[in-house]
Amino acid sequence: MTGREDPTLDGLAGDAAVLRVFRQVFAVLARESGAMITEPDLVDVDEAILEAFAEAGSDGLAVEQVVAACARFPERLVTRRFEVLREYGAVTRVVDRPHERFYRAAFAPYVMLLFLRRMAAEGGQAELHQLLTLEGMSVASPQAGPDDGRASLRRLVRVFRLIANELAILAVASPVEDLRDNVQLLWGNRALISRAEELHAAVLGRWPELDRDCAGLRGALAAYGDASDAAAARLIEHAGTTRALGLLPAETWRTFARTSDAATLAGVLDGVLVDAPAPWFSPQEMTEAVEAERPVGSGRTPPPRPTADAMVPVPERDTTDDEELLRVAEEALRGRDAVPVAAAIDAVGDWLAGRRVLAALTAAHLHPDLGYELVWTDGLRVDPEAPVSWVSAGLFRRLPAGGAR
Amino acid sequence: MSVSPTALLWARIRAAGPLRVPASTTTPDGVLRLAEPGSEEVWLLPLVPEPAGPGVLGELELAGPAVEQPNDTARVLAACLRCCWRSADGSPWPGSAAPWSAVTAVFRSLTDREPGAFHRASLAAVRRLHNAGWVLWDEPAATVRLGPRVAAWSAADLSVLRELWRRTPPPPPLPAEDSPPAEEGS
Repeated sequence: MTGREDPTLDGLAGDAAVLRVFRQVFAVLARESGAMITEPDLVDVDEAILEAFAEAGSDGLAVEQVVAACARFPERLVTRRFEVLREYGAVTRVVDRPHERFYRAAFAPYVMLLFLRRMAAEGGQAELHQLLTLEGMSVASPQAGPDDGRASLRRLVRVFRLIANELAILAVASPVEDLRDNVQLLWGNRALISRAEELHAAVLGRWPELDRDCAGLRGALAAYGDASDAAAARLIEHAGTTRALGLLPAETWRTFARTSDAATLAGVLDGVLVDAPAPWFSPQEMTEAVEAERPVGSGRTPPPRPTADAMVPVPERDTTDDEELLRVAEEALRGRDAVPVAAAIDAVGDWLAGRRVLAALTAAHLHPDLGYELVWTDGLRVDPEAPVSWVSAGLFRRLPAGGAR
Repeated sequence: MSVSPTALLWARIRAAGPLRVPASTTTPDGVLRLAEPGSEEVWLLPLVPEPAGPGVLGELELAGPAVEQPNDTARVLAACLRCCWRSADGSPWPGSAAPWSAVTAVFRSLTDREPGAFHRASLAAVRRLHNAGWVLWDEPAATVRLGPRVAAWSAADLSVLRELWRRTPPPPPLPAEDSPPAEEGS
């Protein structure tokens, strides 16, 4: 029986948890009778009523005595809860006859209340562990047969499937706040899974014919593992870069800090490099800093100079074109020292070929290694009969020996 | 007192930087002992292995201790190195003292500032370096020496620094000294 004297947030959260579990367990029954528990206090009323019965001994209690024993609560409330308990059969007449005034209480509702309190406090983990232990004992007992093993497996499959579904739905669809409130089933799931796997191995080793059911359990365990991973990932993602201290209950942190030895505590800093708090200058940084600020123009890299290797003469040019030019030029000159451009073109016969000759003569004039030049002067030859009607007066001639132009 | 002397000294070095202690002090593990020239004292400099040194911070992309004006500070350190590390062949420690004017001259050749900003930047940088043990700045005498922390540069670091040393313009020749003026203006 907890006092209601300190309305703290923690107390409120605890009450809410009790109520939630109570709803989950009793909703199917309670909804139809319109007696759904809607306030945490009602749980306390139930507990007080059952406590009064416990102290009454074997004679049982009348309704009025119950109300008197529960004087802390309003009379109307107590009588109403009493009626609900009576309807569910938690409280029955001592002797089943009309006008019987004395009632006795069944022990099961009180056990249920204890169970609910525990589940609310510990999130059902311990119960799951106990369930696993019980199932392990039952499949290990000498009298157990394959049917017992199968029934055990089916129960576990159902439990883990339900947990996995709840977690998966929470992880995917519900607000982060809901997820955080309901994540008790996340903690220690590795231990749960490994115990279930032990049981699975025991069953499979004893009754190999149950491999289909064993596969079902493996699937359920994997689903549970995946769902809790997804939920944890969502919580961690939500926690962001801050240290997600809220992921574990505060008590867990305190217990860790109190019970760990120095090496474990120091292990927290294993990934952190602690160095003398003075700045460090690496040569690379210094070089970069100096290079970045060096005034423009005073760079000390010398301009590219030809090295000794570069002094060798450039390789011979391809002289095929030179020979072609030389041939055309000599053909135009025909042994003379100079020839008018008009005559050279006329000698070829038509303009189509003549322009090629002109281009070759010009190229020979411009060529640094060939000793010819093309000199244009005033004057114009006009001759409608000639291959070219208009030709400027020009002279193509051989340079004097030495070739210097 | 149950604290081991090594742990105590490491804690003091962490808090205060390199320590200058009498030569009779025993040298604890992992600490480099540097003789202070012209005195009976030694510097104790923490020397961590390369994989635990400050360079690891960069590899891990973690921020080290923040330096204000990191580039100017690095430039002033380079200028001090150029002036105090007489021959870039050996170790920079202990080096020799250089007048503050020489250091500022080198620093000026490395930067392009108007005089007021230049003065502020150089003073702030040398104070920072002095506090961190990189240089020893004798403000009244206006001289600078390299600090004990320069001994923590590894051999690979020193080869990079020699290159930097060669590329940094030399300080102007001092009137009192007959340093060869051949490199002047180069």
